[in-house]
Amino acid sequence: MLVIRLGGLAAVALGALVFGLFVGGSALPPRDVGWALLHPHGDGDVATIVWALRVPRVAIAGIVGAALAVAGFLLQGMLRNPLVDPFLTGVSAGAGAAIAIGVAVGVAAGLVPALGFVAGLGTALLVAALARRGSGIDVERLILAGVSLSALFSSFIALALVRLSQGGAEEILAWLAGSLAGRGWNEVLWTSPYLVAGLALAFVSVPSLNVLRLGPSVARGVGLDLARAQWVLLVASTLLTAAAVSLAGIVGFVGLIVPHIARGLFGTDARYALPASALIGVALVAVADAASRSLIAPQEIPLGVLLAFVGVPSFLYLYLRPRGTSRLWGT
Amino acid sequence: MGHLALRGVRIEVAGRALLDAFDLDILPGEFVAVVGANGVGKTTLLRAVGGIDAPAAGAVSLDGVELGALAPHRRAQLVAALSADPEAPNGMTVREVALSGRFARHPWWDWTRGDDDVEAVDAALGRVDLADKADRAFDTLSSGERQRAWIALALAQGARALLLDEPTSHLDARYALEVLELLHGIAREGTTVVAVLHDLNEASAFADRIAVLGEGRLLAYGAPAEVLDPAILQRAYGVDFRRIVIDGETRVFARSAKADGRLEGGRLNRDSGRI
Repeated sequence: MLVIRLGGLAAVALGALVFGLFVGGSALPPRDVGWALLHPHGDGDVATIVWALRVPRVAIAGIVGAALAVAGFLLQGMLRNPLVDPFLTGVSAGAGAAIAIGVAVGVAAGLVPALGFVAGLGTALLVAALARRGSGIDVERLILAGVSLSALFSSFIALALVRLSQGGAEEILAWLAGSLAGRGWNEVLWTSPYLVAGLALAFVSVPSLNVLRLGPSVARGVGLDLARAQWVLLVASTLLTAAAVSLAGIVGFVGLIVPHIARGLFGTDARYALPASALIGVALVAVADAASRSLIAPQEIPLGVLLAFVGVPSFLYLYLRPRGTSRLWGT
Repeated sequence: MGHLALRGVRIEVAGRALLDAFDLDILPGEFVAVVGANGVGKTTLLRAVGGIDAPAAGAVSLDGVELGALAPHRRAQLVAALSADPEAPNGMTVREVALSGRFARHPWWDWTRGDDDVEAVDAALGRVDLADKADRAFDTLSSGERQRAWIALALAQGARALLLDEPTSHLDARYALEVLELLHGIAREGTTVVAVLHDLNEASAFADRIAVLGEGRLLAYGAPAEVLDPAILQRAYGVDFRRIVIDGETRVFARSAKADGRLEGGRLNRDSGRI
């Protein structure tokens, strides 16, 4: 039953990606888009727009959605806290600060995503080092360290924004608001090893996530190596988040909310809820990016802003309406 | 199989030694109760026996295999340890909880569940009398049923020894009786059972042997009738005890000065210390 539902969800995600190909800043007739898709080597403006712009962009939307949703699912499961999002470990604030400083000192635009990636990983490492206790990780220390360092790095961003000229500030703001504008296969190519590694680690963590539902004490009793599980989960979520941030800037909401939707639809068993999170992430970001390109075309609404505007109220409605499921954790 | 041996074990909490130079042998198929005052180190000892936290010194072995040297995975195949008051997991059925006991039977990254897992879980749920509630949400169970479901999880592990920390602490008389009868039966079927208990009379009625902890060591270890001695218990708990024997079973009761007065003829004379 759940497998069939997962198949349905995969179809929805695929549909969202295809939908993203037909929508965009320039209103192309659907028939022409379809023709261009079937003829990859065809000539003309439509083929160029579809293959050089829309296909990579839709692919990136799907990757970012899946990466953030899975990262959120891993961290929420590891910390057993439904309010955790992938940016908790300081990845976004560290990346944002590095990007702000990089733009301020005039780093070449092509290097900015890589700079954000490295700084994001570095910040997560620092947070993990501060949260270490014995061979494992102390959950409360992790949250405290993540929140504190995020606050520190956010103030670096604010400082850079205040001190910078108009043009540089705009570039930083575009990163902070989350956007897929101007991203292509190059970015996908160099982030893909980290994405693949993150997803592979997420995949092998599924049994650990399932026994962690019983709490750390019972999980250790049934044979979980808690310290190893924590490090694997932390590394996986950090790789996925840092890759997503360097691809799309800071896209909030996905990593927090999608795991909730997945658990609501599939229960807490990670064998289903983890792939469901990935698929819902793909569908959500693909549709949101299509909307961000087309709603006020030829201008774009930043992806993070759009997701927050639409997503947060609907999430609040789902969970806080009088007869709604008031329990955030589980189904 | 299931011979637990502790040799020279030292238990520390925050650098302070609670128990030292501790030797204990628990034979296969025995039901051993561990008793002693609050804070004496019963829970920490149980965690050391289960190999969850290594003792500060000494060694714990099961059938000659030193548990402290094993990876968590391998250790859980030999010993199942249940902490006191595990929190009820949301959104899990009773069967899923029991199935978690099979974690150590696969490599840690392996998703699959085989027929042997299903059989072990069915048998464990049947053994604790929860087969008909297997598909219920765990948090809809009563306290006694929850405790039995946790025991099913431990049974599904297929370990040779089962360690439980205060398995009856929140249960009323009937549920406590059910759980203790269950543990007694499990021991008779060959699994070594070690339980920290607070109720000395529960220990007396169901345990084969009782380990009394106090004064930083093992004060006494033996059959209930010999160990539940007022002199030993006074040293363990710091209060006086009375012992009576009902139908061949030893029962002990802590005595207060007030009770002394009543027992010695109804006149209460605490101030002078004389009756």
